[in-house]
Parts: sequence; C-alpha cells; structure tokens
Amino acid sequence: MEAKITKQFSIEEPIDKVWSVMSNPVEISECVPGASITEEIDDKNFKGEVTLKFGPVKAKYDGQITIMENDTSNYKLVLNGKGLDSKGKGSAEMTMTGVAKSTDAGTEVDFDMVVNIKGTLAQFGSRLINDVSAQLMNQFVDNFKKLLAGLEFDSELKAGSMMGSMVKGLFKKKDKSEA
Amino acid sequence: MIQCKTSKEIGGMGHSVKRKEDDRFVQGKGKYIDDINLPGMLFMDIKRSPYAYAKITNIDKDSAMAVEGVLAVVTGKDLEQYNLHWMPTLMSDTQMVLPVDTVMHQSQEVAAIIATSREAARDGREALQVDYDVMKPVVDPFKALDDDAPLLRPDKEGQKDNQAWHWEVGDREATEKAFSEAEVVVKEKMHIPRIHVASIETCGCVADYDKVENHLTMHMTTQAPHAIRTVIALVAGHVGLTEEKVRVIAHDIGGGFGGKVPVFPGYVVAIAASFLIGKPVKWIEDRSDNLTNGFARDYHIEAEMAGTKDGKIQATRMKVLADHGYTDGAANPSKFPTGMFSIGTGSYDYPTAFMEADAIYTNKPPGGVAYRCSFRVTEAVHAIERITDRYALEVGKDPADVRFQNFIKKDQFPYQSPTGWEYDSGDYHAGLELALKTVEYDKLRAEQAEKRKKGELMGIGLSTFTEIVGAGPSKDFDILGIKMFDSAEIRVHPTGKAIARFGTKSQGQGHETTYAQIIAEELGIPSKDILIEEGDTDTAPYGLGTYASRSTPTAGAAAAIAARKLRDKAKKLAAYLLEVSEDDLEWEPGKWFVKGAPEKAKTIQELVFAAYTNHPQGMEAGFEATHYYDPPNLTFPSGAYICVVDIDPDTFEIKVRRFVAIDDAGHIINPMVAQGQVHGGLTQGLAPAMYEEIIYDEDGNALNGTLMDYLVPTAVESPSWETGHTVTPSPHHPIGAKGIGESPTVGAPPAIANAIVDALKPYGITHMDIPITPAKIFEKLKEMGVLDKDITAEA
Repeated sequence: MEAKITKQFSIEEPIDKVWSVMSNPVEISECVPGASITEEIDDKNFKGEVTLKFGPVKAKYDGQITIMENDTSNYKLVLNGKGLDSKGKGSAEMTMTGVAKSTDAGTEVDFDMVVNIKGTLAQFGSRLINDVSAQLMNQFVDNFKKLLAGLEFDSELKAGSMMGSMVKGLFKKKDKSEA
Repeated sequence: MIQCKTSKEIGGMGHSVKRKEDDRFVQGKGKYIDDINLPGMLFMDIKRSPYAYAKITNIDKDSAMAVEGVLAVVTGKDLEQYNLHWMPTLMSDTQMVLPVDTVMHQSQEVAAIIATSREAARDGREALQVDYDVMKPVVDPFKALDDDAPLLRPDKEGQKDNQAWHWEVGDREATEKAFSEAEVVVKEKMHIPRIHVASIETCGCVADYDKVENHLTMHMTTQAPHAIRTVIALVAGHVGLTEEKVRVIAHDIGGGFGGKVPVFPGYVVAIAASFLIGKPVKWIEDRSDNLTNGFARDYHIEAEMAGTKDGKIQATRMKVLADHGYTDGAANPSKFPTGMFSIGTGSYDYPTAFMEADAIYTNKPPGGVAYRCSFRVTEAVHAIERITDRYALEVGKDPADVRFQNFIKKDQFPYQSPTGWEYDSGDYHAGLELALKTVEYDKLRAEQAEKRKKGELMGIGLSTFTEIVGAGPSKDFDILGIKMFDSAEIRVHPTGKAIARFGTKSQGQGHETTYAQIIAEELGIPSKDILIEEGDTDTAPYGLGTYASRSTPTAGAAAAIAARKLRDKAKKLAAYLLEVSEDDLEWEPGKWFVKGAPEKAKTIQELVFAAYTNHPQGMEAGFEATHYYDPPNLTFPSGAYICVVDIDPDTFEIKVRRFVAIDDAGHIINPMVAQGQVHGGLTQGLAPAMYEEIIYDEDGNALNGTLMDYLVPTAVESPSWETGHTVTPSPHHPIGAKGIGESPTVGAPPAIANAIVDALKPYGITHMDIPITPAKIFEKLKEMGVLDKDITAEA
C-alpha cells in the first residue's frame, strides 16, 4: 500500500541556512512527527524509531535511516527510512526527497514523500493512509519552519488533532474542479 | 398455488410450519462452538504472516513463552517431525498446515500458541517474534505466467510455472465455426471478484483427545462432519486415530455458505496439540482472521455470444482465468475443477458452446469455496446473463424478448445442454411471464423512456437463470473418492413419536423443521412429533453434508424413501390387525383404511405401537428404516428475477427501487422457510453486486480486512424483496423438490448488474464489473470521457 505526498512551501530565509538544517539528518528527523534517531552508525546510516497511528492501530517501527543522496551543489537530499513493526505486524518504508531553491524572497522547498506499508497496518489503515500521510507531511513542514525560526516545536505525533482534521476534511465541501 | 396433502395437524409439505430450532435461537440458547467448554481446556491462537510472500528466517519461541500462561508454541518445523506440516486439499492439491520456511499469503498461519486462557494465547501471539525476508509477491494472476514471475510452488513435482490446471468442455471447433459464421458476435470481459462468506460465526473447534481411550472427539464448525471424520482417520490413522476412534460433532452453526467445508490449518493444529498435550484445545478464529483467510470466486471471464441479427442465440464461448491463491482450496466434487461452471450455457436453447479455464497460483489465500452456490454456478450465471443482455443490446431488442425467443421450451425437457447436462424440468416462459406481470414491466419501460428524456437514470435488469444443484449421482460425483449420496435414518418409538438422523448438517437452513415435514408428508406422523438430529458422526448415518443446495435433493429424498419403507411396513401391520389383504388397503395421510370402509382403519400411531407390542410372527419387530439416496440426476431449479434501479445523476448513488424474484424450485416443503431462504439469498446476491470485494494492493495486502472496510449489507441497504414462485416438479426426485437455498444468491447479481448497466445505457456503457459502486461509475464515465455528455439527446 503506497501513498505519495508532495508539498511545496517558501521560507523567508537564505538557502544556505535552510540547507544546513535540511542536510542534517538528526535535525531533520526531529521534525518528523513521532520519529527519533537513536544511534548513529556512520555519517550516512542511522538507527531510529517511528511511531505511527492509523485510526485504531498504533505501530512502532524500529528501523534504519539512510541518506541516499546529499547533494549540496544542487541542494537536494534523499532520505530512506525502513522499519519493522516492533510487534511483528509488518513493515514500513518511506523515501523522502527534499529540494531547496533560492528565490528573491528567500528559499522555496519541495518535499515529496513516498510511504509504503505492508502488513496489519495496511489491512486496517488503507482508507486512512493518504490522509494520515498528508497530515504527517503538514506537521513535518510546520516543525521544519519552526526549527528554522528557532521556535520550540512538538515532535510528538499529534494523533488527536490528526483525526480531528481528517474528519473535518471528510465533510469539507469539495468544489467542482476537484470532483 | 401450493396444495397441501396433509392436514395442518400433521404439518406435511406445503405448510408454513414455524421453525422448531428458532425456539432456542431466539432465546439465545443455541449451542455454538464457542459455547463448548470442557474441564482442563486449553486455548489456541494463531500467529499470522503480515507479508504476502516471505522467507521465515527465525521464530523466537521464547518471546511468546515468556508470556504468563503460554504453554507451547507450535511451528511448521515441529509438525514436520510428524510429517503433518502439509496436508491435502479437497481438490487434491496440497496446503501448508504451518510453514516450515516460506509464507505464501498475508494472514497465513505461521505458528500456534497454546495457553491456559484465550487472553494469554492472544498475548503470546502478540509477543511472538518472527523474522522474515520479504519477497515480491505475485498478486495479479495475469502476470503470474510472465517469464520473470517467481515459481510459487517449487514443492510440487513437475511444476514449471504458476498454472495449477487447465480444463475445458464443449466442442471447440464447432463453436469457432459458429462464431466465424455468425451475423452478430458480442464479447465482454468480466471479473467476479473475491469475496468473503462472512458468516456471523467464524470457524473454530475444540479438539478433545483422550489419551486413556485413545479417542478423539472433535467439536467443530463443519458443514460435512462425516467427510471430516474420514479425512482425520486417513491423515492420522498411522498414529492410532483410526475411524472408530474419531467422533466429529458439529453443533449449531452460525452460517456456513461454503466457508465451513474446507479443512483449515487451525483445525489440524488443534488436533495435533490436543493429541500431544492430552488436554482439550479450543481454537476460535477472530473476525479479521476469518475475513483475511479463504475466499469465494475470483474468476476473470471472457464471455462471448454469437447469434443472428434478429435475436436467435447460436453459440457461446467462455474463457476463464481462475485465481486460486497459492493452492487450490476449493471443495468441489473431484472430477469438476471448475465445479458446475458448465451450467453457463444458461436457460437458452442453442446447440454449440465451448468453455475453458486455467487456474493460476498467486500469493493470495487459498480458496475458491462455493459461496452459497453449487460450485461456480454464480460465476457461470453472471457470465451468461450479462452476455445475453449485451447481445440484446447489440441486436436492438428488449432483453425480455430475447429471452422468450431463446428459452428452452417446457416440452423440450429433459433437455441436453451443449456442455453435457440433462436439465430435468423447467418452465422458463411461465416464470418470466409471472415476473413481468408482477413488476408491470411495460409500464416500467414507458416510465424509463420518459425519464431518459429528462436525463434521469433508471434501469431495469433481468436474470432468467438455471441452477444445477443436488450433487450428485455417484457415477460422476465424489469428494476424495467418497460418492456424493446422502442418508436418512428414521426411528419411530412405540408411542408414535420419532427421531430421524441425517448425514447432512444445517447451518441455519431449518432442517429440524423441513425434514420433519417430509417425513410427516410420507408417514402421517405430525411433524412436531419428529425430532431431527444431525452433526454427530457417532449417531448419524454417513453422508457428505450440507452445501451446494444438496440437502433436499439428496437427504430430503432419502427421508421420503425411508418413510415410504416404513409406510409399507405399516401397511403389512394394518393388514394383519384388520385381517384383510394388503391389496384391500388404502392410504390417507396418517392411516391405512379398508377400501370402501373408511371406518375400518388403523392410525400410524396404532400401527407403530403394534410393531413393538403385537407384530405378526415372522415380521421383524420395531419401526425403523434407513436409506442412502444416490440421486439419478442433479436438479435444475430456475428463476426469473427483475431488478429496478434509480441512479442519482450527480452522485451516482444506486438505489434498488424494486426487486421481484420468481423462483421455481419444484415442490416446496415449507413456503415460509423457502421465502426466508430467498430473502437471505437475495441479500447475499446484492452484496457482491454492489458492495463486497476483497481488495489487494500490489504487495498482496488485503486492504479491507475488517468489517469497517468490508461492507456486508444489512437491512439498511436491502430493498423490500418481492418474492413468488412457479412450481415445476423435478421428475426424478421422490417429492419433486429441487432445492432453493442458493438460487437467489446466484440469480440476483446479474439482475442488479443488468439494471445498472441498463440505467447507464445513455452513456454508451455496455458492461461494468461487480461490485458496481458510485465511485466506479464515476471513474468509468470519466475514463470514457462522457461525464458531461448530454444524455437527454440519447432518449
């Protein structure tokens, strides 16, 4: 089961400042809701854990994060995280690509995330994966902006608000162009 | 009209006798498998694979054993020591009991946890650590034969690709000729998707092995207890469990629908565990385990019809790709890998047909169980009824007219079908005429024409199907070599009350009521005085069980013939007591009397009493009879169903406005029970037509493994069913009955699909795969680029 999410946003900060956070695996991991790095294996490989909550199902993944690409000349970062559910219910994999571009107003950042889930979570969460992943991305971007601004942020997974905004999303009236 | 030969007091055939079993069911006093609790009983849970295709690299038993109350963890490697890690399926394929190294589908059983409580067993299941190397699964059956597809069954000798078998029937050359010369040829590709039987009660058992007596009592949810006993003896005879040491008991069952015919690994592991530990072991499948294991259907069908441009059908051709998961886990009669799919030539008279099927292995659960149908009849009927509508559309005729034009006529029975069946009887014209009259078809078509002018979507769909049930004649029908007869044993006590036992097993069909009515009809003992018992192999006569609408055609016939044997004995007793010749006696339900002198009579109760107290010298005492009935042919129930739908032109929400079901099941035993069967069956026909489908993603994850995501229709979704019947008795069945339980499940889906496709006709749609949902309609119209088409112009 796969979900693809893309997000583009602008930040009124110079690209080098943005890139210094983006390219730091420990800092960027902290922005991922529910994720944390527990061990540095080498400069490209890390051990970490991610907790995901899909509706009634909560899964904790122990896994490995690998920096696939860290291209400073093009301001491009590709991260891959792979994990096994600690209770043997399945596995998750996420590849995130981030590209920063310098603009007149500061920096434009493109993130895209491909999430693939196998196992029980896929069985239970199939209707939720797109919404949950989109929420995850939104929360990640918020945290990223706060980190850059030097503000406090909460790296806990906000499952409650996530469900709430999803429910709101369900009842939101779609305009014709979307339909 | 149903004519009753017996009085209401006797309550024979045709009376709407209230269901005896409902007294306990409505009071919550049914005895289901989870109600069985034995002293010292242990509990089993099963760890299942999260992956569709993976190598097991390690099972850390200690992780589960650390849980308080967990006594043992059983793996495939443990079973391998006893050569119990693989077992045969009913289709002579092989299935893992527990895997030694490779899992073949998501939710496959990986290890069993035995504990002192159900909770501890579940905790052990959660705690058990299993490591896997995940492999890319084969999910799409159309890609299973690609060169780069992994060989899924290297364990099978000589297996070079992922094809399980090939099957064909009919005349290929004649069919090709007919198609090449035909004026009109139509073709549609259809998928009849995987669905669950989703019975209220899941599967389960209590395996109770007694070490001292070397005896196994197996309480289990099975539709075929005797066959299971024989299978256990064949598999475990070498460890001392020979057939007299095995007793299988099926208690009340909360719905079977074919899902309780196969032997699931859970049963086998529970037996092995009880055998090794010497204590009773209970296993109750949970809802998600039930939903993600086993399945029905999954046929990809290419259906074609050839005919003249004025509407005469000349030939049909069907090509099937059957996705069987990783093993053929169906439960068909041995000689019929596609079951009765060859009934798919339908209710129509034409000389030529050809069908072929290829079964494919994929990384999905094993199955292919006949969900409330006589082995693939649902798939066959859907294909022929949909392609008949497609043909009617092509030749520009009303689908009712095309059916009338092509129906096998009443006087053509017995009718030889081009795929080799002999249809026993039928009156298809009468059925459709009654259905059209009931629904007021002409008015509906006029209304539809008006609505189309306004851009409103209304559709009328027909299905005029022929079923094939009552497997079956011993010449062709067996399961694992055992012929598909069935049995009845009637024992009448001195006071005129009786017990009758059968080789079948009700799962809610109402046998305790209807079998008693058959005996009452033949013997005149009131049906309320006859206790019906099934499901205990120590007491019931041998039989192959209840599925495929076979109970009335086989065991029901056995009951009638056994009762007639007793009626003959009663006649001898009456002749003796009345001191007349047997030739002078005449029967009326409940008594033998002297012709012309009705006051000289003996009631059946008096005659039974005499069999114990005053029987003539030379006559065997007692009043018992047994019959094993080997049917000379199958029975061929039929039906004419009409569905009317309205579709919201903005949201494409589908509303079934009316559904008229006219069934012909021959003589009806209990009209109320039959109607109940039809109501349930129609709802289970609505289910795959509009709601149910097990969806897999490309990794083999079943995406709707809970009842939150898998929509089983309830009273909320169901329309008000309008039912009726015509009666064309089976000429070869002792009471002229044909079987009713599955007709509605088989006949309803194409009627609904035909109605929806008819409603969407202005858009140029000629076919949609079931389940047809608003989202699917939207996607289809978008794909065809007709979403914004002005459909009023078509009218």
